[in-house]
Amino acid sequence: MTLAATVRQPLPALTGAGSAVRHLRRALWLAPLGLSLLVVLVYPLVLLIGLAMTSSTLGRPFNRFVGLDQIVAGLLDPVFQAAVFKSVAFGFVASALQLAAGFGIALLLTEWVRAGRLLLTLVLLPLMTPPVIAGIAWKLILAPAGGLLNGQLMQWGLIEAPISFLGTPGLAWLSILAADFWQWTPFVVILSFAALMGIPPEMREASLLDGATPLQHLVHVTLPLVAAPLASIFLLKLIIAFKLFDLVHVLTFGGPGFDTTNASFWIWRSAFERFDVGRAAAATIVYAAVLGLVTLPVVHLCRRLEARR
Amino acid sequence: MMVGRLAIVLRAGALTLLAAFFFLPIAYLVSVSFKPRDDVLSGEFLPLRPTLDNWPGAFAATDLGAFIVNSIVVSLGSALITLLVTLPAVYGVVRLGVGGKWAPQLTLGSYVAPPIVAAIPLFFLLRGAGLINTHWGLALVQGFANVPVAYWLVTPFLRNIPVEIEEAAALDGATPVGTLVCIVIPLMAPGLAATAVILTILAYTEFLFASTFTFSDATRTLPVGLSLFQGDRLVNFGQMAAAALTGLIPVYLVGLFMQRFLLQGIAHGGIR
Repeated sequence: MTLAATVRQPLPALTGAGSAVRHLRRALWLAPLGLSLLVVLVYPLVLLIGLAMTSSTLGRPFNRFVGLDQIVAGLLDPVFQAAVFKSVAFGFVASALQLAAGFGIALLLTEWVRAGRLLLTLVLLPLMTPPVIAGIAWKLILAPAGGLLNGQLMQWGLIEAPISFLGTPGLAWLSILAADFWQWTPFVVILSFAALMGIPPEMREASLLDGATPLQHLVHVTLPLVAAPLASIFLLKLIIAFKLFDLVHVLTFGGPGFDTTNASFWIWRSAFERFDVGRAAAATIVYAAVLGLVTLPVVHLCRRLEARR
Repeated sequence: MMVGRLAIVLRAGALTLLAAFFFLPIAYLVSVSFKPRDDVLSGEFLPLRPTLDNWPGAFAATDLGAFIVNSIVVSLGSALITLLVTLPAVYGVVRLGVGGKWAPQLTLGSYVAPPIVAAIPLFFLLRGAGLINTHWGLALVQGFANVPVAYWLVTPFLRNIPVEIEEAAALDGATPVGTLVCIVIPLMAPGLAATAVILTILAYTEFLFASTFTFSDATRTLPVGLSLFQGDRLVNFGQMAAAALTGLIPVYLVGLFMQRFLLQGIAHGGIR
């Protein structure tokens, strides 16, 4: 007899055990998910706390208990403070720019659906491109000696000498922003396009009949209708932008100096280049806490807009 | 009338510029891959003296073929693992009421943490389990890490299927497992295909875990191999471009054939 049949016809004396078995069988549906969350969420957090409170290297973890010393040191380290600030600032700036541009492009596409289909296909290219390859392509474009951009700018007579885009503080961040913009704006375009297609076309006809200009229609009809999805897109994009690592690795390797070293890159170098795992773990906890704090208001905004719908 | 025509011209101009912008870096890679070594940094868009040498050169200079095979094996394996974890979970939560609210919230919430948070602990876990520097180890980690994305994508696909079909199956005595495998999965096939493609591409393009958990040519994935190419003292940009494009071909082919599914999958998951 199978287990299922046993459970379905419990002997009177075994009812208690039968219901426990049934409970267990139902929980089995979530067992793989539980295992997965245990591996990528619970275990890392527990181990990080352990590593952060001990002096640890990659070869010999948990050497000596140091309490909160490393976490305090991380909080006070000016380079790490700057790195966390850069991660957060990059997240908001990149996401805001991409949301504005992506939504604008999506609006253009809805006006011209047939050309829009073609452009949607093209827009998929950056999204499918591995960030490392996107980084290589942009590095070739931005190269100081004979890169495409410098070559063209010099040919047009706009600059006298080549500019080292990736080697100049400030410009290096702009370069990363540009490459990230190229890679992720398409994501916003596709999601915004879907949100806009969800608006019934009668809305547009009605407001045009009422004599609204296209701008009035956009501000008073379209935007309120897509505010909730746009907020969710922003949140999603923010979370993705906080993960920035590959483009930094390929384009600038955190330089010049520490100029483009963001939190992810700082932690990675501490752990896997300097092997100071204890310090890296302490920094990771600080970074995760900061991200939680700055993401929360955006999550709140999404909930409120969603509730109003 | 004049204003209308002007608007059309402006819009066409804007769309053309946009198309050019999104296509430019790829087009430039193609161009550089045909440039001889001395022309690479000429600042010109097109090669002045085109050559084919970079393409075989890229394969000779690195283990490019092995990197691509590693990437394909790991990304397919990881997509499979993600689906095996996600499908029963979504079915359990949406249709059988297991896990209540915490399962979706915890799953989606875990996506907020950047991968660097898990990198150090997972390094110790894989090393302890003897899975460091193996295809399986990397596929497992990436597979688990992508579960929130799959959960997000699959849930609306399941919700869209009328529950009456499953109720009829249950009346006929089908078990929940049988219903999921024989009825629900076939009905969700298009959505699952989109999800599988997105998961495969996510794993194929992933860099942080791949660079941290693989360190020999037998296991390195393509992004890791390409990033090393870069570290060589004498960078041959032509070869690097050819290598990068070779790695792009599998993803772009998949994208081309699955375009519809892909757009649907992304749009469907984001907006509900």
